[in-house]
Amino acid sequence: MDYLWLKALHIAAVATWAGGMLAAALTITAVTITAVTFAAAGSKAGGETAVPSATLNAVRRWDRRVTSPAMLLAWALGLTLALQGGWFTATWLMAKLALVVLLSALHGMLSGTLRRLARADGTSPPAILRLAPAGIVASLLVIAILVVVKPF
Amino acid sequence: MMTPQDIAEERRQLRRMRMVSLLEGCTLLLLVFVAVPLKHLAGWPIATRIMGPVHGLAFVLYVWMLIQTVSGGGWSRGETVRMVMAAFIPFGAFLNERALARRQAALAPAV
Repeated sequence: MDYLWLKALHIAAVATWAGGMLAAALTITAVTITAVTFAAAGSKAGGETAVPSATLNAVRRWDRRVTSPAMLLAWALGLTLALQGGWFTATWLMAKLALVVLLSALHGMLSGTLRRLARADGTSPPAILRLAPAGIVASLLVIAILVVVKPF
Repeated sequence: MMTPQDIAEERRQLRRMRMVSLLEGCTLLLLVFVAVPLKHLAGWPIATRIMGPVHGLAFVLYVWMLIQTVSGGGWSRGETVRMVMAAFIPFGAFLNERALARRQAALAPAV
């Protein structure tokens, strides 16, 4: 396939993946804060958790149907682009790949945590996930610099 | 206490994990026992050039699915390490698949 088409589809997949990850990370933070607030206030009504629960289910569905396929597409198109361009020896690509592996692992954690939170006996997520939104944005910034500027 | 919906969701997750485990195992076997001999004995380097990236992608998918499954909760560190280690060994994925099937069967059936 034409290089520009591959690149355009790769960028679209990455944008969809990153947006979905941010939505998941922010939802997890919001649901956790809500649960902690209600627990502290001694929650009385089951209906009070309906809004976070509906949001959680919507984000879970989006993650399964859109964000996860977008991640796979970003990987497949990215590797195809790198193979076509013969860039596997470039340091900038290795640095980018390391960040993409970390982002993928973080996405797996977020996805599993959404499932855990949706369960009736759902326990609280790992504290480190509070840093996820900042980590995602920082990683995307570094990746954009690596790909566009190619500093090394 | 898990609700019937929770149990059904957990079973679906384990079924997906079993499928990915089998995919990873099969691509590793094809790479090690078909593509590598073809390259070294028949002089067909194209075999590993195709199967290498295919298995690489399957392995990435397996590790991602494992992280997702384990993050859902209920997994000990030992079980997680075993699932990772077995993915590196030919036929290990089939042991993983059996372990996942037992875990799936141990869940109470969804009502």
